[in-house]
Amino acid sequence: MTVLLTVENLTQRFGGLVAVDNVSLDVEEGSIFSLIGPNGAGKTTLFNLVSAIFPPSEGKIMFGERALHKAHTHQLAEFGIGRTFQNLAVFHHATVVQNLLVGLHHQLKANILTAPFFWGRPRDEEIKARRRVEEIIDFLEIEHLRDLPVGQLSYGLQKRVELGRALAIAPRLLLLDEMVSGMNAEETEDIARFILDIRDEFGITVMMVEHDMGVVMDISDRIAVLDRGQLICVGEPGEVSQNPDVINAYLGKK
Amino acid sequence: MRTGNHIESYPRHISLSDNPVVWFWLVALMAAMIVLPAFSGLFVLGLAIRILIAAVGAIGLNLLTGSTGQISLGQSGFLAAGCYTTGLLIADYNWPPELALPMSGIVAAALSFLVGIPSLRLKGLYLAITTLAFSFIITQFLLFAEPITHGPYGVRIEDTVLFGFDLADPTTMYYFCLGILVLVTLGVLNIMRTRVGRAFNAIRDQDIAARAMGINLTTYKLTAFAASSFIVGLAGGLMAFQFRFINVDIFSVTLAIEALAMIIVGGLGSVAGAIIGAAFIILLPEFVGDAIGLLPAGISDVLARGALEIKGLLIGLVIILTLRLEPDGLIGVWRNLKRYWSRWPLSV
Repeated sequence: MTVLLTVENLTQRFGGLVAVDNVSLDVEEGSIFSLIGPNGAGKTTLFNLVSAIFPPSEGKIMFGERALHKAHTHQLAEFGIGRTFQNLAVFHHATVVQNLLVGLHHQLKANILTAPFFWGRPRDEEIKARRRVEEIIDFLEIEHLRDLPVGQLSYGLQKRVELGRALAIAPRLLLLDEMVSGMNAEETEDIARFILDIRDEFGITVMMVEHDMGVVMDISDRIAVLDRGQLICVGEPGEVSQNPDVINAYLGKK
Repeated sequence: MRTGNHIESYPRHISLSDNPVVWFWLVALMAAMIVLPAFSGLFVLGLAIRILIAAVGAIGLNLLTGSTGQISLGQSGFLAAGCYTTGLLIADYNWPPELALPMSGIVAAALSFLVGIPSLRLKGLYLAITTLAFSFIITQFLLFAEPITHGPYGVRIEDTVLFGFDLADPTTMYYFCLGILVLVTLGVLNIMRTRVGRAFNAIRDQDIAARAMGINLTTYKLTAFAASSFIVGLAGGLMAFQFRFINVDIFSVTLAIEALAMIIVGGLGSVAGAIIGAAFIILLPEFVGDAIGLLPAGISDVLARGALEIKGLLIGLVIILTLRLEPDGLIGVWRNLKRYWSRWPLSV
């Protein structure tokens, strides 16, 4: 197995608070990698560092040859990294199709000088983009919702659209921040199935932050546990659930 | 009752409208616009020209404020920049009007970087104030840089012949403005259905998500400012041919507020809304003026003396009414009517 993402001695301080403390980990290509930990453990901060929302205080993040600790957020799509957000960040007024089309942004070429004349290449690429979007709609089973404004959909479906938008990037690495929070059992099961399919059908590596232990234990290949910014354990689901440090972090010492 | 909208090919999906009824009415509207000068007097034609130019300006502002979410009170500054560029290039530098008009768009677009760059860090109200300050700087510059801009004396434009057509003739001017409006409308509609337009909307709705989708905020905010200002600058250039004597007084803050009123009343983010809004805001004082004329002589005299104040009041009133009753503006009312009609008797 080749390593797709390497995090090396990563530290992030916010004033006096050390949100991520000297964390190192590897994510293998084609795996589902989960990041868990109690509230305030630094999971989302680590995620934001990987998606270059802000630069780390110290340490390196390498995605193949690319140095993510020096990158700008808008370059990630081009590198092949897609993400969803903990608090839904879909475009509410736009339809499902329009939301997904935004994910294709970096694969298209129209600019302000060619766009006003909608023939030739801008038109051809729009047709191609529409076709690609239909494939994603088909995959996520949201055909009947395509022309509805996303704001009108249920929370679970909005999350699904957000997942589709990240897929439209055609990523090698997909970052999912608390995908199933606030979903009912059926929606959760759907999403878990989609995540497995995304890995198996498209070969996309998935890295996710998740609180739903059922999902984490069922579908993860590897799990990393963070507590107060420190990495306390990395391993397969079976190992992690037996690890005394992990039990301490979640339940407290006996 | 219609059961649904069935589209069978991708090109139809991305066409401006795949509905033949829409195209029929558009053609009918264009035909009516084309024959209008044959039936109307000078007054109506003058009003029509004002609407066409205002619509071009409103589409430009709408691209920035409605579609990209960057509130601008600098409309009068960009209009002034465009208007004076055309005026001065023709009057002082003997440029042919064919070149002076596009130059007004280019100069306004270049000036837009002055406000575009602060906009990378400023949002909402703070950006609005910055654009307002920009507009004051422009008008003050025009007033005091007398050696370049003729200062308070204004600029008179003698050469108004474009490609052999004299824009001093109202009918020619009307057709010319109509042509520009059609081109600008098509251009902006096209922009909005490519990745550029989607990037604008994404920045308006969720800027962090937009960045995660690969949209470079710096590039696209500056692009929105430049494209919007280019169009507004063109509208300003058209104003130079409309007045043929230009003066800084035209470009007051009220003009910027009127422009905002047009896109709010018409419907933010909609090209058709900007055109309808422009027509509405230009015609409103005319209709109210006529209505006042019908009142008994004593009252109508008093009201006629305060015509300017009444106009300001009315614009404020329609903005408040729009925001209160239908935030999507007139175009929203139209969409609701359409939905009601096509779903009847199941509509609520």
